[in-house]
Amino acid sequence: MSARDDKIRQAMAELDVHVAEVEASVAALKALLADDEAAGEEEQARRG
Amino acid sequence: MRALTDVTSEILRKWRESRGWDVPRMARELRKAARDTGEDVAAHHGLVKMIPQWERGNRAPRERYRLLYLKVFQDMLGDLPPGMAFGTELAVRLAGVRSRAARLPGPDEIRALEAAALAKPRQAMTPAEIRARATEAIAQLHEVADKLAELSALLGDDAAGGGAS
Repeated sequence: MSARDDKIRQAMAELDVHVAEVEASVAALKALLADDEAAGEEEQARRG
Repeated sequence: MRALTDVTSEILRKWRESRGWDVPRMARELRKAARDTGEDVAAHHGLVKMIPQWERGNRAPRERYRLLYLKVFQDMLGDLPPGMAFGTELAVRLAGVRSRAARLPGPDEIRALEAAALAKPRQAMTPAEIRARATEAIAQLHEVADKLAELSALLGDDAAGGGAS
């Protein structure tokens, strides 16, 4: 395997990590908002 | 055209998943590729049964279907510079991570999520944690952009050099 192949594999692995970190942060923020929606639906169900 | 000899059942599944397609969508894409060239293939419901069998390795797709897979995913395979010592598995990983990167929200969308999350008090996260999470996500987005640029440069250099490395 060439040095360039190694660099590409390394860059791909690092990209994978960065993408996973953004995905995790976005998922955490979205989960907070999903809690709001669930609470809103519960509230509506109680009233309805 | 690239041969399909090194494509395993697992790779067929990864190709499909890298596009975010379910099995019925994969079937539709295969039928569409066949229609474009006037080929005769199994009905949609037949393909929906066959695709999981191919992906589990229970049976191998016939040549007609192997060629259709190549047609459907040719842009992904064509991503690799000629002469480069890349395996199909790596091509799939590259396409997969690029596809995930392309689906990430932009900084504005992350800021909008942050603002929505800060709009009311939360037990799960303090406002400082929410802000830190959003800032970290945006910083990571920049890292993603840098790595994508680095990868493009590496792949472009390799293509320009004819893979002589």
